[in-house]
Amino acid sequence: MRLSASKITKHFGHRKVVNSANLTINPGEVVVIFGPNGAGKTTFIKILATLLRPSSGQLQIEDIDAITDYATVRHQLGVIVHELMGYPVLTPYENLMFIGKMSGIENLDTRCKVLLDEVGLQRFIHEPLQIFSRGMTQRFMIARALLHNPSILLLDEPFSGLDAAAKQFVLKRIAQERENKKSILITTHNTELGYLVGTRFFFMINGVLEEIAQKDEISEEDLLQRYEEKIIDTA
Amino acid sequence: MKALRQIATLIRKDLGLQFRSKETLALIFVFSILVVLIFAFAFGPNFPPEKSERAKLTASVLWAAFVFAGIITLNRSFVIERTHGAIHGIRLTGVDPSFVYISKVISNLIFLLLLEIVITPIALQFYNLFDEITVIILLKLLGILGIGTLGFCAVGVLLSAMSTSTSGGESLLSVILLPLVIPIIMGGTKCTVSILVTGGLENRFWLGLLIGSTLVFLASAYLLADAVIEE
Repeated sequence: MRLSASKITKHFGHRKVVNSANLTINPGEVVVIFGPNGAGKTTFIKILATLLRPSSGQLQIEDIDAITDYATVRHQLGVIVHELMGYPVLTPYENLMFIGKMSGIENLDTRCKVLLDEVGLQRFIHEPLQIFSRGMTQRFMIARALLHNPSILLLDEPFSGLDAAAKQFVLKRIAQERENKKSILITTHNTELGYLVGTRFFFMINGVLEEIAQKDEISEEDLLQRYEEKIIDTA
Repeated sequence: MKALRQIATLIRKDLGLQFRSKETLALIFVFSILVVLIFAFAFGPNFPPEKSERAKLTASVLWAAFVFAGIITLNRSFVIERTHGAIHGIRLTGVDPSFVYISKVISNLIFLLLLEIVITPIALQFYNLFDEITVIILLKLLGILGIGTLGFCAVGVLLSAMSTSTSGGESLLSVILLPLVIPIIMGGTKCTVSILVTGGLENRFWLGLLIGSTLVFLASAYLLADAVIEE
């Protein structure tokens, strides 16, 4: 599914957090947004996920206006943001079962167990999330985002807190989802992992989204250099 | 069917969370027992011989206990959803926001009714009314408390959804909720006194006020629920 955002702006009081951002993500594409802390990446991803209403601008998923008709498009979205989006007193299995029942997923029990196995949480399936480490919580959030097999993945810092094995799993899974023609957006500070997984790159600094290049147009070193120069220029 | 399944899943989740953590459960039971005890110590041990005076005291104590226990319960029920962004997880399933509202009203109603079923006989015993009350009268009493609790939850859930999304919102809820539920408290208290004294309702006006305000709160809060939960 194609996601298209046009002139998205978001104000919090007088502060403009996202400034007229334009972005299109096509099926089979992995768009990576690099940006420092406070650049507006999370706010932008929350707007794309229909969790936050923009101050102005348009958001379309295929031909549907996602701002007004959010209920129709939400089940197509797999989202990771900085929040758990679950209940710490429940186990990862219970959390997934709850979300799955709400979404009307078939063969839910098997699906939950397979996913928890894939993200490496099979040993902790009956432990409450409140005892999980940052990395384990992130693994749960990945499982939750993939549970309903969404067409669009919006992943805010998906590598955050993960160990090497889990990062490899996420990289592999994103590549697999890309092959399945999913539209994928990732925000990250990590230029190495971002370059590895992405097909098109953007910078977001002070709320301004700027397209940099397709992967075949830029090397990792050049990308890193341009990113650092940009941050220094705007500091 | 899909709507009913989603509402049932949300209610099961809400009640499951309340009984799993037991924090709110313990808090509201201890709080309600304390209210009953404090008034019993203050006015006892020699309560007025007139049944009507004891009935007025009991009605006041019951409604005070349930209103404040209700505020605690309502606050907690949305704090659970906001603290770790669980409400976003629910929204992303594509569920109609009004189903979230309906499920919260029902789960809070069930939770508070359980409290009322336990606390009401204890209060009646403390204020020397238990022996004078038949099972039918007790059921009528719980019916009135149930209608009042429904109205209280109808408006309280909406305001809780609003207040917990702002900083310092927990204290805000009682400030904005209590003035709004005055018609329910007035109607509920008067009906409770009437049932305890006569076993029935002497003046239908108070029942009308209780039911009317409950229906108005339910309808208006349901219409506003989408906007409040989505914002």
